[in-house]
Amino acid sequence: MPRFVVVAARIGIGVLLAWAGLAKIGDPQSFADQVHNFRILPVALENLAAMILPWIELTAAMALIVGVRSRAGAVLATVLLAVFTVAVLSAMARGLDIECGCFGKGDATRVGWAKVGQNLAMLALAAVGSLRARASAR
Amino acid sequence: METDDARLSGRRDQGLVSGVAVIVLMGVLLGLSYNWFGLRAARKWGLPWIGEDKFAAFSAEPAIGLPAAEPTPPPDRHFTNNSDPFAITGDADTGRTGELPEIPDSGRPVPIELGAFERYVDAGAALILDARDPEEYREGHVPGALNLTYDQAATDPVALENLDTGGRPIIVYCGGGECEVSLRLAHELIGSGFTRVAVYLGGFPEWQAANRPIAKGE
Repeated sequence: MPRFVVVAARIGIGVLLAWAGLAKIGDPQSFADQVHNFRILPVALENLAAMILPWIELTAAMALIVGVRSRAGAVLATVLLAVFTVAVLSAMARGLDIECGCFGKGDATRVGWAKVGQNLAMLALAAVGSLRARASAR
Repeated sequence: METDDARLSGRRDQGLVSGVAVIVLMGVLLGLSYNWFGLRAARKWGLPWIGEDKFAAFSAEPAIGLPAAEPTPPPDRHFTNNSDPFAITGDADTGRTGELPEIPDSGRPVPIELGAFERYVDAGAALILDARDPEEYREGHVPGALNLTYDQAATDPVALENLDTGGRPIIVYCGGGECEVSLRLAHELIGSGFTRVAVYLGGFPEWQAANRPIAKGE
């Protein structure tokens, strides 16, 4: 994959992750409530997840945007998005009609196929970013 | 040549793993310290470290200040919980002819006992919700009660918000005893913006045992 494609993918996914992370950092309580709505984690761990997850997103985003350890950031972003997609799918399978919370409280998108599509698109972007950037196009 | 490449990519993959670990660790530390500051702020906005089960309100634990519970003898009326100081006890203090005991605007579900519950039912002064399965509801329910299961409420918040109480408080009940769906439903209702919500903990079994009227069918 040409270097500029990989770098562009990394910066793109970095900006999206930073946005998602910052939106959640601003209001930990409502993110914790949204985590609760998914009914995936034990209740005792929900607050910890709500504290930590947005910051992992933000540090990964910083790595991607600044370009320090950016491939690690892209791999982490891929893993996170895969987990989020599974969470959304499992909520759909259980018939939950809940807010995704993916981009914080301002994002009232409900869990559904549109969200899965959005997640898969971001997942693809992160996967491209996870490729090894070739030093020079040969 | 090949071995060099392999060694090089091996080293790169190691860098990848440690890179991911560094990012995750930084995220964890930042998240925890950010929350730590939140808990120490003048107007506290941090989260408690351990998530609390909001549904565990007025469980079997005694209220604060009461002596620790002795091992409780097997109660003969297992479905009534008198531990809540705010429980609406009904006719004892107001008398059957007085005004209805008030369901306070407290933003949390309040337990209500048979006497008071019955008077609300008789007067039609509250929206009564039966949180049990539709099947149990059909077999018999408190007259005038609507059937709304916790699952319906949890999966369809819109229906919940459109619930028409006619300005009345809401009283929720289920199967009494170990049944907790009424409490969960009550919390869903509070979460949807209803403020005056009571839970009749005795539930249908107590109602039935007290020989109160029962409606059948849809």
